[in-house]
Formats: sequence, structure tokens, C-alpha cells
Amino acid sequence: MPLRAAIRVRRGDHVIDVDLHVGDDETIALLGRNGAGKTTVLEVLAGLLAADGGHIELDERAIHELPPEQRGVGLALQDAMLFPRMSVRENVAFPMRARGEPARDARGRATQLLRALAPAVDPDADPATLSGGERQRVSLARALAGAPRLLLLDEPLAAVDASARPALRALLRDTLAAFDGPSILVTHDPVEAMTIADRLVLLEDGHVTQTGTPAEVRNHPATRYAADLVGVNLFEGVLEPAESGAGTLRTSQGDITVAWPDGLPFAVTPGVRATLGPAEIAVHAERPEGSPRNVFHGVVQEVAAGASRARVRLDTAPPLVAEITSGSIDRMQIAAGRPVWASFKAVEVRLMVPGNESDTL
Amino acid sequence: MRRRLPIAVLVLALLGGAVVVVPVLALAARVPWGRLLDTLTGEGASAALRVSLEVSAAATVLSVLLGVPLAWVLARAQFRGRSLVRAMVVLPIVLPPVVAGVGLLAALGRRGLIGGWLDRVFGVQLTFSTAGAIVAATFVSMPLVILAAEAGFRGLDPRYEQAAAVLGASPGYTLRRVVLPMAAPQLVAGAVLAWARALGEFGATITFAGNLQGRTQTLSLLVFQQLQTDPEGAIALSLLLVVVSITVLVTLRNRWITGVG
Repeated sequence: MPLRAAIRVRRGDHVIDVDLHVGDDETIALLGRNGAGKTTVLEVLAGLLAADGGHIELDERAIHELPPEQRGVGLALQDAMLFPRMSVRENVAFPMRARGEPARDARGRATQLLRALAPAVDPDADPATLSGGERQRVSLARALAGAPRLLLLDEPLAAVDASARPALRALLRDTLAAFDGPSILVTHDPVEAMTIADRLVLLEDGHVTQTGTPAEVRNHPATRYAADLVGVNLFEGVLEPAESGAGTLRTSQGDITVAWPDGLPFAVTPGVRATLGPAEIAVHAERPEGSPRNVFHGVVQEVAAGASRARVRLDTAPPLVAEITSGSIDRMQIAAGRPVWASFKAVEVRLMVPGNESDTL
Repeated sequence: MRRRLPIAVLVLALLGGAVVVVPVLALAARVPWGRLLDTLTGEGASAALRVSLEVSAAATVLSVLLGVPLAWVLARAQFRGRSLVRAMVVLPIVLPPVVAGVGLLAALGRRGLIGGWLDRVFGVQLTFSTAGAIVAATFVSMPLVILAAEAGFRGLDPRYEQAAAVLGASPGYTLRRVVLPMAAPQLVAGAVLAWARALGEFGATITFAGNLQGRTQTLSLLVFQQLQTDPEGAIALSLLLVVVSITVLVTLRNRWITGVG
């Protein structure tokens, strides 16, 4: 394992006790609520915060006693933290210049990185003139510029406009997949985690409560938080063209109909991930009439009732989690074991296609 | 609609303005324009101008060289008694300059705490030398650099330094490439204020370094001396200092004066 870390931090009554193992080329998402200790773990890994105990090994080298600048870590933060009074290019060249590389080489490589990751950004621009999404792109380029062994991303999409998010998410996913080393994404957004990461690590009150692939966590959530978090439906499979501009996503557990993504050639595409919000799924007592193309029949497995809304787990093919009002639960007398119909619109399914920036997510 | 201000406030405000403006205007009104050039190019005046420029420039360089690192320590290091240290180092701002001069004599005079040793070991005497005038000017002007620089450093988000460290920058490189450029406006403002303060220095200089033409006699000291023998000459020299001061204000207009408003 290129990264093995055991991190213990005591903060008043709170104790953070986390073991992390991340493989080469693996991206894990550290998921947790605010205050769960995600950022603390990241700061300890980066060397910005001293742990009270534990150790960190990167490529079989103990790094926990090294200062941050000697750890070989790349970091991209929520607020990008691009240096003012430096052009975008100088920002990206910074890690190389800090290691003593000649200015000309560093600038050349910075320009290349910017061309790949932020083609719309003028390398001579003042960082203050960039949009949130552009800043994150430059920040990612800067994190990669120092040729780090470990990549750390702290909520990289949180400060980005909703409109710029899909393209940036796709860029993050492709960049992390191509990155030759372990990477850790800290986030509280389950959609971001499930679409970008290979493995989820759920952090609750300073402890890891579950770890597994997005599908594993979705199918067997270990805690209430995990269940709430992954309530979003996740599908993974091969996308095939269907009639009238639609597509069929064939997963190992059943097929769904989706809208064909813009810009994607109308051909069989493997490795596609899709998410569907539980609130987008309607539950019916009888077979619904009308337009929805995705209609499934199944039996209610579990009902988790909240104050005004409830989550209903169905054994349809593929399995679905729907969120409906408590009023509907009462009206349709929904309980475990009752057969029901579920439907959703193809356009509500968000697709993530490898290498395609125009994700509908 | 604009609200009218109470009359009493307006009257007091006008008086306040007059207190500041009238003496400067009076100075301009009394300038002996006819012999202005002669006075300013006379032997005493040009020697004093040279000493003033040397002393104030050297004091500014020393203040920045020593004051900026001190401000950095005060802004970033955690240690016991930090607020006491901060209070001590900015004391010269409120200290009567003549007291500063007496203190410098006690420390660096020929029989002073360190001065005696400097004299014995190195044969160096600061009293009545240009170096002494520089020390006196540095003593009173460095706190202005420290205050401005510390405010500048404190205003920086420490996450920039953290990001720089993780990106592979040593603390020295981070200071040079990230911190100092970001704090530059405050550092420049502090340096200009320190220079203006050093240029106008009077009390500490005359107490510690004396009033020797060509060595420690600055423009300020010369003005004071001339006033007793040649008031018109003193006014001409004062005008020179006013012009320099206004230049400082104009230089700082954007960075400092409007910066706080």
C-alpha cells in the first residue's frame, strides 16, 4: 500500500482515531458531516497539524515527522488559495520553483498543465479575476505541478457555481484516475464521492464507521448516516443507444432508460455511472399510466420514516430507494412486504461518462 | 436626502481644521521668497540637508531590516509575554523624544551600559557622530515599521502559508515569494512613515548625538538653531521640510490615507 496512515488527534473531549490504507492509483473519498474530523485528517496527512499519535507511511517511507514541504504531497483546497500578486502561470510554477527548478522549465511545464486542465484560463491572468471553477482548475494544476506522490483534495467543488460543477467534476474524476498515486478527496457530498472515488471511507465523530466501494456502501449501509448519505441511487454499467435519442443503461441488476448525454457519440459506451435522487422516484399502488419510460414493479423492503418524508427501499431490478411524503405512506399503506410500482423520468437520471466533459450530472 | 449636521459640530470641525492648517499656511505666507534660494543653498543648509538625507535614509533601511523580522515574530510566533514585547517595542511612539535621547545615552553613551564596552573593545563612540544620529532616528522610527508590518502580516490568511508549505516551499521561500509580496503595501507605508519620522527627528537626536554641523546637525536641528539668529532663514528651511512632508502624503495617498477611510 503506498499510503498507510494511523492518525490519532485529541481535541478536548473529541478523539480522532483513523486508519487509512490507500493503494496506488486509488482514489478514496473521506465522507462525513461537518465536525466529523475529515479536514483534521487531511491536515495531519499534509503536515499542517501535529497528531498526538500514530504514523504515516508513503511509499514505505515514514513521513509523519517531516515538515509539510518535504512530504511530497499535493493539496487543493476549497478556497483554492491561489497566491495573489502572482499570475496564474506563476502560481502553477510555484511548487517547481520552490524545489529550485529553473524558471524557464517551471514556466514551460506550468503552461502545459494549464493547457490540459484550464484551457480557457489566460496563464498571464491575475487569479483574482477568475471564476470559482477556473480557480479550482488552476489550484488542481498547481497541486499536480510539484509531481506529488499523494494528492489531497479538500471539498474542491464546494465553492464552485452549480453551473460549472459538472465539467469540473468530470475533470476531477479523469485527473484523479490518471494520477499515478493515491489520492484522497474530502467531501460531504455523496454524489461527488460516489462518482469520483473508487472507495468510500465514512467518518463519524472521528472514527471510520464504514469503508467500501460506492456499490457496497449503498447495498449494505452500516450506519444510519451511511444509509442517509447513500440514499441516492447509483447505477453502473454499459450505455447502449435506444430509440429516439434515448439510451439504455444495462447494469448487473437491471436496465434503466436515460437521456443520451450531449456530445457523446451515439454508440455503446462502457463504464458509465449514473445517479438518481430518491425524491425523483414516484411510488404507486397501481401500475402508473402515461409517459414515464422507467416503470418497475417490486416489493417494499424497508421504510425509514422521517418527520414529513420517508425513505422506501424497493427490491426492484435494479433496486431503488425512493423518498416520498409521509402522507403518501399513509394513503397507500406502504409497509415492508407490500408490492408497489415505482417510476421516474429518464431525464432525471444524471450520467457520468468517462472522458466526456458534458456530463449531465 | 442628506441630513443636516448640528451647527455646534460644524463650528468645532472648522476650528479643528484651522488648528492644523493655519500654521502651515502662515509659514508659506512668511517665506522670504527673495532670498529663498540663497538660504537653501548656503553652507549650513546644504550640510544639514546632506546629514538629514543620510541619517533618514540609513534609519529607514535599519528600521525595515530589523523591524520587519520583529513584526513577523510578533504576528506569527507564539510565546509567553508577547503582548509585553509588543508594548515595549512600540513605546518610542509615545515616549517623549528627549527621554528617548536620555535612554540612548544611558545605553550607548561613553559611560553607558553598552557604550562603554563598545568604546573599550572597538573604539566606537556613537555620541556626537552621524552613526549616533542614525541610531537615534532608528529608535524613534522603527516602531512605525513594526506596527504597519505587523498589521500587514496579521491581515494575511495563514492558509496561504500553509498551502505554500504543502506545495514544497521552505519557510524562507514562502516568506520571500508569498508573504512579503502580499504584505508589500503595508511594508511600503511603514517605511515611508518611518522615513518621514526620521527626517523630522529632533529631541532624541539633539540629546544623544548633539548638534554638530556636517555630522549630526539635521535640517530640523538647523531650523531650531536659525530661529534664534535668523528667523527668516528658519522659515525658508521649514518650507523645505513642509514640501518633503507633503510629498510623503501624496506618495501614501492611495495606500494609507484612503486605505483606512
